[in-house]
Amino acid sequence: MIKRFGFWMEKGFLAAALWSMFLTILIFAFMLVLGLPLFKEGRLLSLLTSPWAPGEGQFGIYPMIISTTAISFLSLCLGAPLAFGVSVFICLIQPGRPGQWLKKVVVLMTAVPTVVYAFVGVFLLVPLVQSVFSAGSGMNILTACFVLALLIAPTMILIFSNSFNNVPLSHQYAADALGASSAQKLFYVILPASWRGIVAGLILGAGRAMGDTLVALMLAGNAVAVPGSIFDSARTLTAHIALVTAADFDSVEFRTIFACGILLYLMTLLMVLAVRFLSSLKKGTDL
Amino acid sequence: MILRKYRWFVTVLLMISALVWTSAAMAQSLDVFKGEKGDLRISGGTAHIPVMKEAAKRIMTVNPAIHISIAGGGSGVGIKQVGERLVDIGNTGRTPTDDEVSKYGLTMFKWAVDGVGVIVHKKNSVRNLKKSDLIKIYSGEMTNWKELGGSDNPINIYTRDEASGTREVFWEKGLGKGAISAKAKVVVSNGAMKSGIATDPNGIGYTSVGHIDDTVATVTLDGVAPTIENVKSGSYKISRGLFSNTKGDPTGLTKIFIDYLFSPEGQKIVVDEGFIAVK
Amino acid sequence: MNRFLEIAVALFAWLCAFVLLAAVGTVFVFLLIKGGAALNVQTIFGGTPVWEAITLKKAVFNGLFPAIAGTLLLVVMAVGLALPVGIAAGIYLAQYSGARMKSIFSLFCDILAGVPSILVGLFGFSLSIFLHKYVSQNIYPCLLISAASLSFLVLPYLIRTTQIALEQIPPEERLTALALGADKLQNIIYVLIPRSLSGIISGIILSIGRCAEDTAVIMLTGVVAMAGVPQSLLAKYEALPFFIYYISAQYTDMEELRMGYAAAIILVVICAVLFLAAFYIKNRLTEKALYSV
Repeated sequence: MIKRFGFWMEKGFLAAALWSMFLTILIFAFMLVLGLPLFKEGRLLSLLTSPWAPGEGQFGIYPMIISTTAISFLSLCLGAPLAFGVSVFICLIQPGRPGQWLKKVVVLMTAVPTVVYAFVGVFLLVPLVQSVFSAGSGMNILTACFVLALLIAPTMILIFSNSFNNVPLSHQYAADALGASSAQKLFYVILPASWRGIVAGLILGAGRAMGDTLVALMLAGNAVAVPGSIFDSARTLTAHIALVTAADFDSVEFRTIFACGILLYLMTLLMVLAVRFLSSLKKGTDL
Repeated sequence: MILRKYRWFVTVLLMISALVWTSAAMAQSLDVFKGEKGDLRISGGTAHIPVMKEAAKRIMTVNPAIHISIAGGGSGVGIKQVGERLVDIGNTGRTPTDDEVSKYGLTMFKWAVDGVGVIVHKKNSVRNLKKSDLIKIYSGEMTNWKELGGSDNPINIYTRDEASGTREVFWEKGLGKGAISAKAKVVVSNGAMKSGIATDPNGIGYTSVGHIDDTVATVTLDGVAPTIENVKSGSYKISRGLFSNTKGDPTGLTKIFIDYLFSPEGQKIVVDEGFIAVK
Repeated sequence: MNRFLEIAVALFAWLCAFVLLAAVGTVFVFLLIKGGAALNVQTIFGGTPVWEAITLKKAVFNGLFPAIAGTLLLVVMAVGLALPVGIAAGIYLAQYSGARMKSIFSLFCDILAGVPSILVGLFGFSLSIFLHKYVSQNIYPCLLISAASLSFLVLPYLIRTTQIALEQIPPEERLTALALGADKLQNIIYVLIPRSLSGIISGIILSIGRCAEDTAVIMLTGVVAMAGVPQSLLAKYEALPFFIYYISAQYTDMEELRMGYAAAIILVVICAVLFLAAFYIKNRLTEKALYSV
C-alpha cells in the first residue's frame, strides 16, 4: 500500500517544488504584463531617463533609480566597514566569551523588525541630523543610510564571520606557528581565503539595502527630484511603489510602478547570479 | 506507532490547524449576518478620517454586528476604489470631476466644508504671506526665509502625494495651478503633513484647516487667517467640501451611514472635529 | 610598522563592536524610555473590559488589541499556507531531485528569497485586482490576500531550512533504514523527518517572525488604519507593524505617539520571543526526537 502511496507522495512533493518555481516566474510575469503598455508605446527610454512630473505628463523613474543606487551604495559604505570590524572582533580579537556574546547580540538584531528601526530613526535620528548638520529637515539620504547600515550590518557580520571561521584551521594554526600577529593573520591568511564570502556578503547587503522599503519611505523624504547631495530628500524605487500604488489603476502613473518592479526584480536576479557565480569559482582560487 | 514518535509535533500541528479552521469557521457563522449588519468599507481622503473614526466608533458601539473599516490613501484613491467597488464609500476632499462622475457613476454627498491652510513651524517668525510669494516659494523661485523677513535658512517645501484632494485644492486655489518644485518633500496625509512641519523649523506646508492644532503655526494668506470662521464667511478663499461618494445610489448599510453623517449627531461630530457643518 | 598595524586593527575592531552595541542599545533604551510607561492594559484594550474584548463581544477602540489580533491571525494563516508547500518542496529538493534540477530549483528559491518584499506586496495587490475583475466581485485586498502574499514571502525560507536540515543528516543515518529494507518514503517519514525536526521547526518559527514584522507586503494587500478584529477571511484588518508606520507620521497627540512606542516594544518582544523559541526548540527537540521512542 505504501508503495503506491509513495509514488503519489513523490509527485506531491514535486508539485510543491514546481509551484514554488512557478511562483517566482509568475511574479515577474505579472510585472511584465501589467507594465507592457508602457513598453509598447516605445516609452521605455523616456521612462528610464526622464523625471517624475505627472502633472506635466512625465512619468520617468530616473530620479528614483538614482536615489536607490545612491542610498544602497552609501549604506553599504557605512555598513560594510562596521560589519567588517565587528567580524574581526568576533573572530580574531576576542574569539572567546566576549566574541560569542556579541555574536548572539548580532543574531538577535536580525530579529528586530525593520519598521521599529525606522520608527526610532524618525524620532531619534531625524532631529539629531537636523540639529547637527542643520541642512534641511533631517529627512534625507544621510539619515536613511545610517539606519539602513544598521539594518544590513547584522546579516553581513554573520556572513563575514562565517567565512572567516571557514578558513581551514590548519591555515590559521600554520600562521600562528610561524609567529604571525593577529593583523598579519588577518591580512595574509584569512582575507585572501575568505574573499569569496566577503564579496557575497557585500552583494547580499547591497541587495537588502536596495530592496528595503520602510526605512527609505519613512526617513528619506520622498521628494521626486534627483538628489543633489546627501542632505537632499530622495525617493527610492521601493518607496515610489509604496506611494503610488494607492492611486489610479488604469493610468500611466500606475503602470510605471510595474516598471519599477521589473527593474527591482532584474537587479535581484543579477545579485543572485553574482553570488552564485562567486561560489561556483573553484575553491582553490585565492587572491 | 508512527503517531507516538510524532506525538509532540502532531499536537502542535493540530493546535495550529484548529486555530486556522476555527477562525475560518467563525467567519462562516458570522457570514450569515452579512448584508444589513455587515461590513462597511471606507477609504479615501485623509482629512475625513477623524470624523469617520468617531462616527464608526459610535455606530459599532451601538450595533456590534456592524464592522466598519477605514483606510486613507487620498481622494484619488477614494474615487478609484469606490468606482471599482473595492470600497462602499470613497471620501474625497475635492469635488469629483465630471469625467470621474460619469466614468464611475458616482453619487456625491457633501457633509462638511473645510479649508486648506498654509502652516509653518511654531518657531518660524514669518506668519504672513502674499499669494504671489506662496507661488514663488512652491515653484522654487524663493529659496530662503530671509527673503520674506525670516531667518537665514533654506525653505523646506512639503507637499502631498498626487492622489491627494487637499493637494489638488491647494494647487488650484492657492497656487493658481502654479508649479510645485520637484524638491518638495512628499508626505502622505494631512496628519503626516502636520507632524512633518511640527518637527522642521524651516518647513512650509499645507493642510486641512480642521486638522490644524497648536503643534503648528498658521500663515495668513493676503491678510486672511486660515480659520474655520474665515472659511465659513468666505473671506479665506481656499475652501473645499468634504465629500463621501458612492457608486450609484447608496443602499443598506451605506445609506444608513451617510444619513448618519447628515443627522444632527453626525453634523455635531463634524463641528467637533473642526470643520463646518452643512446643515 | 607592524606594531602600528596591529594596534590599528584591534582598535578598529573594538570601535566597531562598540558602535554596534551603542546603536542597538540606544534603540532599545529609547523605546523603553518613551514607551515603557504606556505598556498597560489601557493601551491595549482602550477602555473596553478585557474579557469582553478578547471574546469579541465588544469592539476595542483606541487600543492595540485589534492590531495585535490582526497580526496573530495573519501570521498563523500565512505560515499555515506556506508550511505544507515549503516542507514538501524541501523534501523533494533534499531527497528526490537530481543534481541539475536541484541547482535550478535552488536558483529560483534564491531569487524568490531576494525579491524585495514590496514586490511581493505589489504582486499580491495585482493578484487581488485581477481576481476582483475576473473571478468574483467579492474579492478585495483583505486578510486572505495578505496571508497568501506573506506565505509567498516566507516560502523560500521554509524550503531552504527544510532542505538544509534534511541534508545535514549524516549519510550513515540516511542510509540505515534503506539498508534495512525500507523504501524512500518510509525512510523520510520514520527516520529523516524526526531527525531533522529541530531544523524544520526553527525554520517555521523564523518564518513566523518574518511574517509578524513585515510591513511592505501588508501595506499593499489589505491592512488599514482602522478595522477592528477581522471577522472573516475577506475582511480588512489592522496589524502592529502598519500601526507603527502609520502612527509615526500621523499621530495627533502625545497619547497616540506613546501608543506607537508601546506597539514597537510589543512587536520587538513578540519577534524576540519567537526567535528565542526557535533556538530553544532546536536544542530541546533534537534530544526528544533522538531518544524518545
